[in-house]
Amino acid sequence: MRASVDVVIVGSGAGGAVVAREMARDGRSVLALEEGGYYTPEEYGKLSPSQSLRRIAREAGLNVAMGIGDTPLISALAGKAVGGSSLLTGGVIFRVPEDILHEWSTDLGLHELTPEALDPFFTEVERAVHAEIVPEAMRSRSTELFVEGATKMGIPMKSLRRNTHGCRGASRCTFGCPNRAKMSVDLSFWPDAWEHGARVWADALVERVDIRGGRAWGVRGRFLDQETGEPRVPFEVHAKLVVVACGALHSPLLLRRSGLEGPHVGRHMTLHPSFRVCALFDEEVDGWDGAMQSVFSDAMMDQGITFVSAYNPPSVLAAAFPGIGQPHQRLIERVSNLAVFGGMVHDDGGGQVRRWISREPLLLYKMSGRDRARLFLGIQTLGKMAFAAGAKEVLLPIFGSEPFESEASLDFLTSNPPSARRVESLSFHPLGSAKMATSAKGGVVKPTGETWQVDNLFVADGSVVPTSIGVNSQLPIMTMALKIARGIRADWARYARRAA
Amino acid sequence: MIGAIAEALFSRGGEPLEPKMLGEFVTNVDGFMSPASKTLRAGLMLMLELLRWLPVVVVGKLASFEELPIETRTDMLQKMDRSRFSLFPLIVVAFKTLLTVAYYEDDDRLRAIGYPGEERKRYLTVRT
Repeated sequence: MRASVDVVIVGSGAGGAVVAREMARDGRSVLALEEGGYYTPEEYGKLSPSQSLRRIAREAGLNVAMGIGDTPLISALAGKAVGGSSLLTGGVIFRVPEDILHEWSTDLGLHELTPEALDPFFTEVERAVHAEIVPEAMRSRSTELFVEGATKMGIPMKSLRRNTHGCRGASRCTFGCPNRAKMSVDLSFWPDAWEHGARVWADALVERVDIRGGRAWGVRGRFLDQETGEPRVPFEVHAKLVVVACGALHSPLLLRRSGLEGPHVGRHMTLHPSFRVCALFDEEVDGWDGAMQSVFSDAMMDQGITFVSAYNPPSVLAAAFPGIGQPHQRLIERVSNLAVFGGMVHDDGGGQVRRWISREPLLLYKMSGRDRARLFLGIQTLGKMAFAAGAKEVLLPIFGSEPFESEASLDFLTSNPPSARRVESLSFHPLGSAKMATSAKGGVVKPTGETWQVDNLFVADGSVVPTSIGVNSQLPIMTMALKIARGIRADWARYARRAA
Repeated sequence: MIGAIAEALFSRGGEPLEPKMLGEFVTNVDGFMSPASKTLRAGLMLMLELLRWLPVVVVGKLASFEELPIETRTDMLQKMDRSRFSLFPLIVVAFKTLLTVAYYEDDDRLRAIGYPGEERKRYLTVRT
């Protein structure tokens, strides 16, 4: 199968959808190629967590970053469907913190990434995705308890913003909203893009970018069998401009497969290693009733830790409870008494994305000593919050650990911490694996998003984020993509001339 | 092997799980893993094989994992979960996670632990 368009976009998630809408609105013919399938909100809203992981998540949700040295094995959740990971986020909306933007614009020389310059882009995306503050009444009892504990410890909590419209507090955003209330890109950006003529081919795996004479000419790949996922019918798309937006885990792989070399492709990846602490209370908590995520605390951001409320469906929580057999079953039977809270580490870029023996990348991650200390301090602080709120038992994300019954029993986490390899950690925000820089020596893409090595080849997803940002990445990715797309629009004549 | 692990995790008092239910559960778990890449599935299969032949090392029994009584299987997984050798807890956590997510998606089991299904109340106060 062959097609010829102005712009071909690889990936249909937070980055690809924004670029598609922008270019289609500008009158360009746009085709997005998505490796995953297409599911309507009604379809994915009915999936159970395991069905959702099977159909919408990469590697059926079993993707992991292998820890190097004293580093946890980090579960890395990423989407694979039209809408990408935006279908699987908790919907949390943060702008990039101003001190990070200051670092980018001054220390890294990325002068166009100041808070003032990005403000209109942030604002526009926030409007498009319906960013709204989560009302206090939508906080689950689970969240209220941690807020009570934090308040007693002098740690302020603030209401989060999320991209929701009519949230019913089902607390399962990360498996696809059952109420069409989370404004993932399939509901926010894609309808507008489709109205302006953009198209998406689902189940279409791009295998390489076609590069000739130092310029991108299009892409080649194969359609995937919807049942088996095996590559079948080949396709070829000729385009004046190619935008790679398949996420920080896959964009660097595609660039390498297409011949881009250099020390930065697939390096410097940050993961925001996350952790969650569960606590058992005497009261009925029923934490599933309320917004899955509703508050956060930046009180310890200067120590590299952000706390964000979180909940999960009972089956997923049960999987994370400590113990085997009867001790595990005892905790599951008390799931209605359980409160949960999460946190993440604002990490050094210790991650790598490497080609391996399958289509999926080999993810490696080496946690720095500073980040290990942050990880344990964050876990300990959440445990103390739970006890301050009246928890009877605290369940830490440490393999083989028993429930803890006093605040003092958590002291070991900072005085004599276990190996980080024993920590259960998750990542929802892989970033920076094809980072933006002011020279080819410093990164993979220019401040415009175009690669330093190949003309008319752009990257517009979480890969380009220059450093860890310490907050949820959905809005930052969309904002960077919008800025890149606006730059392409402004310079379209030049890019089209090159392609002529 | 998946059925043998499920019994070690979810059996009560060493009682075997109901065969028909167990068969359906194993099929369900197999379907869960099937969209993963060949590499990942090969890794899981390798871990299963290791687990199959580890009883001699972990609990000193010259038998495969499936051949052990259910309570001994549970005991073995507990020991591996607490082991300082980091591969052992990883094997346990990998299968415990997979199997628990699938096992507790059953509506009856969810209701038994107090989960009301899709019913929610809090949002109603926001709307009124």
